[in-house]
Amino acid sequence: MFWRTLNERNPNRVALRLALHRRRLTQVLSAAAVPAPQHRRFFLFPVSRTQKLGRFSSALHLRWLLGTDPEAQPRKKPETSKLLVMDHHLASDSPQVRPRWRKVAYGGMQPGFDDNHTDESFLEGMVMNANVVRRDMLKVMLDSVSISEYLCIVALVVLVWTYTLESTIDESRLLCIDVSLLVLGFLILLFTQEKISLSILVHHYFLNISFFIMGLYVLAPIYQTLTRSISSDSIWALTVSLLVIHLFLHDYSESTVNAPGALKNPALTSCISVNASVVASVFIASRLPSRLHVFAIMLFSLQVFLFGPLVTYCIKKYSFRLHLCFSISLMVVTLRFVYMLHCLLFVLLLSLLVFVNVVCPYWLIRIQEYKFEINGPWDEAKLCFAITD
Amino acid sequence: MDRKKHRIMMVSDFFYPNFGGVENHIYYLSQCLLKLGHKVVVVTHAYGNRSGVRYMTGGLKAYYVPWRPFVMQNSFPTLFPSLPIIRTILIRERITIVHGHQAFSTLCHETLMHSRTMGYRVVFTDHSLYGFSDAGSIHMNKVLQFTLADVSQAICVSHTSKENTVLRSGLPPEKVFVIPNAVDTAMFKPAVVQPSRSEIVIVVISRLVYRKGADLLVEVIPDVCRLHPNVRFIVGGDGPKRVRLEEMREKHSLQDRVEMLGAVPHAQVRSVLISGHIFLNSSLTEAFCIAILEAASCGLLTVSTRVGGVPEVLPDDMIILAEPDPGDMVLAIERAISMLPKVDPQVMHHRMRELYNWHDVAKRTEIVYDRALKCPNQNLLERVSRYLYCGVWAGKLFFLVMIVDFLFWRLLELWQPAEDIEEMPDLTLPHISNKETLQETE
Repeated sequence: MFWRTLNERNPNRVALRLALHRRRLTQVLSAAAVPAPQHRRFFLFPVSRTQKLGRFSSALHLRWLLGTDPEAQPRKKPETSKLLVMDHHLASDSPQVRPRWRKVAYGGMQPGFDDNHTDESFLEGMVMNANVVRRDMLKVMLDSVSISEYLCIVALVVLVWTYTLESTIDESRLLCIDVSLLVLGFLILLFTQEKISLSILVHHYFLNISFFIMGLYVLAPIYQTLTRSISSDSIWALTVSLLVIHLFLHDYSESTVNAPGALKNPALTSCISVNASVVASVFIASRLPSRLHVFAIMLFSLQVFLFGPLVTYCIKKYSFRLHLCFSISLMVVTLRFVYMLHCLLFVLLLSLLVFVNVVCPYWLIRIQEYKFEINGPWDEAKLCFAITD
Repeated sequence: MDRKKHRIMMVSDFFYPNFGGVENHIYYLSQCLLKLGHKVVVVTHAYGNRSGVRYMTGGLKAYYVPWRPFVMQNSFPTLFPSLPIIRTILIRERITIVHGHQAFSTLCHETLMHSRTMGYRVVFTDHSLYGFSDAGSIHMNKVLQFTLADVSQAICVSHTSKENTVLRSGLPPEKVFVIPNAVDTAMFKPAVVQPSRSEIVIVVISRLVYRKGADLLVEVIPDVCRLHPNVRFIVGGDGPKRVRLEEMREKHSLQDRVEMLGAVPHAQVRSVLISGHIFLNSSLTEAFCIAILEAASCGLLTVSTRVGGVPEVLPDDMIILAEPDPGDMVLAIERAISMLPKVDPQVMHHRMRELYNWHDVAKRTEIVYDRALKCPNQNLLERVSRYLYCGVWAGKLFFLVMIVDFLFWRLLELWQPAEDIEEMPDLTLPHISNKETLQETE
């Protein structure tokens, strides 16, 4: 297409697009206002609209400017009475002044103007890219660290599952890992939440956790025999797909983390992702030999999937540098352990982390240039109050 | 000037017996065009068992093509199977111009596509405003780009609607004409005896849905009732938000001050309007609000939200605009109440007769038809290559669709030649007397 090839040939793509945009906008607006033979004068006509355009343009807008109709309507010959009052730049060869065009619908056809008259104030109320955030590459990369941190956490969980299924880790070591993770989590919560007191800790967290652990222990026999009739291949396939769904739908913005005092309704996708992770844990746990194994692995998985986001959120809220150090060390540890397990998986994980941290931010910033958000008087009004049913 | 007489086919999913803005527009415009001497045929889908050919007032022929409505009164989108019947109707009635209405109507888009394939001139009227950002609007705009890539002329009902349509479809602005709707002032006359002004009655008639601002009403009505003890509300219309209004009535004990009428049939709208002094419109988006015109024609002062094309509809002394915010609307209602003594319903009605007139709309539409017929008729390749501009993938898809449509048409020409289709002789009615709903102005 015309504008695409133009962009590819020219190195200074944005400048050219802007220049083309400005020139064409001037040309179209003035061509619409004045009959054809005189429009060349208006290349220098200052149009205040260009300030709003900024550095964003889009194919749709360009297409409008270039017009979908290569064969434009034959313009009518200019009669002397047809010149605009607002037109200061033309040499005055119109003796009589007709009434100004008004943006009203009543009163029939406006005298001196056709119904398809496009005034200078056409699209005056249009605001482009009003709510668009201009992104900085470094900031986007730093924000994407939380995504790769979660990826590493899930990778570590899968690692522990693999080692447990291969019986590299036995149940006592697993229980030690569980207890130490629990204690670590509590310490982090205590450390990072200044307002927390010991009584809240005991009441809110400790009691709930004990009930939770008790429930898991009691229900462990059920998990053990749950998938006895299903073949292992189906289990691995299901688990992998469930984990992929979990990663895809996980709420990385952490808007639904249930920190004390938060009152937010979780979105549908975050509920689905939590469920997917829990079901994957149950499937893996059902492949293990003894009841204690099952209990230990279930406790470990659920600890990480259900309470992991809370812990990382608290760290991030407390200090961004701490969060950065924690994430990077987590990534290094994960990569080391995965390398010890299998080389190909290590390469895959490394490329995934590079993709998320480097390639995606760059790609996002590149395609942000094409963003073209249009607002104007035609928008549906937004209610400023909440509707309480 | 002796203008050429056109043979027009109006096509839309929305026509009588359904009631609404688009339906009224098509009917009144067709009647006025018939008066001007053109021939008009309306094509729409079947409603219930109302299927086949019907004749309406003035010799207006309506084809109720036997397709069932699919969702929201739209017929099921079938791309090519509608070509044979549309072709038959076009040849039978010797149509020269096809005029489609409403971007939301699938029948309209399909018919316009087939008409362009067969080389007829096509005019499209857009009646609503759409956004750009949600999934439904993006899809709708793509379909609109397809239809308007090769349209002869387009009409919008307000200047805001023209800006919206130009941005959505990429049409050059000089191809879009702004011809507003009008109101049948003979039907909407003010009351002979005015209701007493000791108790001020505010009338609301709209569908009670989110889009029409029913939630704003829930906030505004209690505040106004509290501030002005002599104000009463009449709420006509039905919809999902009616429950909220009933709850509001219960909560603030306004049963004697807020009267809920339920759905008001169109024939009784006037009698509801003339029992009030002020008309309140709280829509969140409107391309052109005909309800406001009806209220002004009955002599009511209007209070409305400043959205879409509403600021263009009435002069400033007949309407008071407010932001779609409850506080601002309450202030606007107060201003209206204070302005009320200066308002004379008969004067307002006479002004409306000057400002809006369906015959004027028909004459302006005639100019659009004349312009459409002057458009050069291009050969297939030039025409179809316009569709390539619609998008990277969409353009090629649309191109293929039009090529297949063309081939199907050619096949139909071989299979069922145009000479075999019987042409319908014109029905000339005797001169219609002046005793009818439409008002004639000289």
